[in-house]
Amino acid sequence: MTVVNPMLEVTALGKTYSSGSEKVHAVKEVSFTASSGEFIAIVGPSGSGKTTLLAMLGALLTPSQGEIQVNNQQIERLSAKKRTNYRKKNVGYVFQSNNLVPFLTAKENLLLISTIGGVKKNIAQNRATQLLEELGLSERANALATELSGGERQRIAIGRALMNRPDLILVDEPTAALDSERGERVVRSLIKEVKQRNVLGIMVTHDLAMANKADRVLEMKDGFLNELQESNN
Amino acid sequence: MLALKELIRRRLQFSLIALVITLIAYLILMINGLGVGLNQLAGSALWKLGGNAIAYAEEAEISIIRSELGIEALNALKNQPEIDHVSALGYLAVNIGGEAEGTNLRSAALLSLNLDEQTTIEMPKIIAGRTLQSDNPEILASTEFLKDSGLSIGDEVLIQIRLGEWPFTIVGEVEAGMFFFQPTIFVDQLIWQDLKYGERVATTPIASVVLLSAENFENLEIEGVDIVSKKEAFANIEGVAGQQSTVAALRVFGYLIGALVVGAFFYVLTLQKEAQLGVLKAIGASSTYLFFQVMTQTILISLIGIAVSVPLAWGTAEGLSKLPTRVPVAFEVETFVTTSIILVVMGIIGSLLSGSRIARVDPIIALGQQQ
Repeated sequence: MTVVNPMLEVTALGKTYSSGSEKVHAVKEVSFTASSGEFIAIVGPSGSGKTTLLAMLGALLTPSQGEIQVNNQQIERLSAKKRTNYRKKNVGYVFQSNNLVPFLTAKENLLLISTIGGVKKNIAQNRATQLLEELGLSERANALATELSGGERQRIAIGRALMNRPDLILVDEPTAALDSERGERVVRSLIKEVKQRNVLGIMVTHDLAMANKADRVLEMKDGFLNELQESNN
Repeated sequence: MLALKELIRRRLQFSLIALVITLIAYLILMINGLGVGLNQLAGSALWKLGGNAIAYAEEAEISIIRSELGIEALNALKNQPEIDHVSALGYLAVNIGGEAEGTNLRSAALLSLNLDEQTTIEMPKIIAGRTLQSDNPEILASTEFLKDSGLSIGDEVLIQIRLGEWPFTIVGEVEAGMFFFQPTIFVDQLIWQDLKYGERVATTPIASVVLLSAENFENLEIEGVDIVSKKEAFANIEGVAGQQSTVAALRVFGYLIGALVVGAFFYVLTLQKEAQLGVLKAIGASSTYLFFQVMTQTILISLIGIAVSVPLAWGTAEGLSKLPTRVPVAFEVETFVTTSIILVVMGIIGSLLSGSRIARVDPIIALGQQQ
């Protein structure tokens, strides 16, 4: 599918790893576009290259070939420092195991992103309070990350990803550690946030039921990307 | 701040690290205190006497034991325009016992004073009793001597020298310290000549060395005389060089072990937190920001360790000073300040190991991958 005025434009993207004398092509000739307000799911079996693709979109990995353009900015050849800045300002990550800082409270985990991003304290405080409210976690604001349930932790991880108002939210298997009911709630929250804030959300998942809630589902297989379906929602 | 919150919320973990650093800091402080204490035993009297330089007989090679200076040398020194003040100083190792039968013999460093010259160069401060009278069998005893011997002002003592016994009276107490690891006592220069040489003729040396107060003494050249700074004179006291190098070696090892322990602790902590560091990097934290957190923790933990160890070491030194047997541990403010600064710096050097590890953490591990 081609998107008019895309926010994200991926062209002939590839990633090759060296394993001894052998070369492993994890991602091959991937091209697609996406726009703000879209929530895209990428499915595929383990080792199909979906997480590698996500890592390249988030500037965690440098592609071996191809281009990635986010809001008209080429990101695939940025220096390490610029990649850090790009992640800080443009990308919100939700990881598989939420990875909150265990000795910080729910609210402090949100504020940490603003501290790293150099956002003013009062602005950050207001933003964190607002996000906790929206995520239904105001009462758990002062609970340590270790005291939160799996679902609460994942919702805080979503809040953390939204904290610095990124253009792109990248989500890696957000429901892997949750039961189906909690998993569904988390994905619904994600979709709601993406729509409300008009950002682009890309979720990597094994779970087809969750993937079907997305606007588009793309499938990675042996490093290649195919469009599976367009929005059901 | 992330570093502070971690310190507070992981109190137990960091308290244990602080405890280890406290013990290391305490050990290093005690070694330094031992160094200062031994130096005081070796020659605190030298520092308490006035002047900034010391003249030795050239052939003595900066040994006060071998140095002997006559009146000509003293006059030659006095006549130098660069030299403001001089004072002859004689040295003799003696045994002293009380007059009473069965009194234990004590060794002491006997130093001579030229009573006429006392006004021109600072001499030991009399804190009780009176000063010496010329050519009288009287001694001024240092506080250390009186404390060690149990004698007091007015007591009669016998100085044993050259197979004879010489009666003396303690007439005053002076703040004079130790010399050659012995407590000091002072006699008049004429009496010192009698004790050391048994006679006073024109050729009898009048001093072992001469204390000088002079600027640019380094450029002075006087025949048969070597002039050195007090610092050099101190370093040349027999036994001091070996003692200082031993203490310095212990100190250096202490600092190195301190840096290694601090470095190892924070390195292990960094390894344990690698996944978390990867996530923080993935969400935009720079290596500099993360290293700053480790550095802050290292500095704070080192400061806590030092803050506990300084009063602990000082208290130990106070406790040891009350023991009947002399344990040469002493502290100066400078020792605490220098040791504390070096320990913090060594801690920072140790934490650089963590810094290099942080720099190598790949944010991709946040996605459970290795590049």
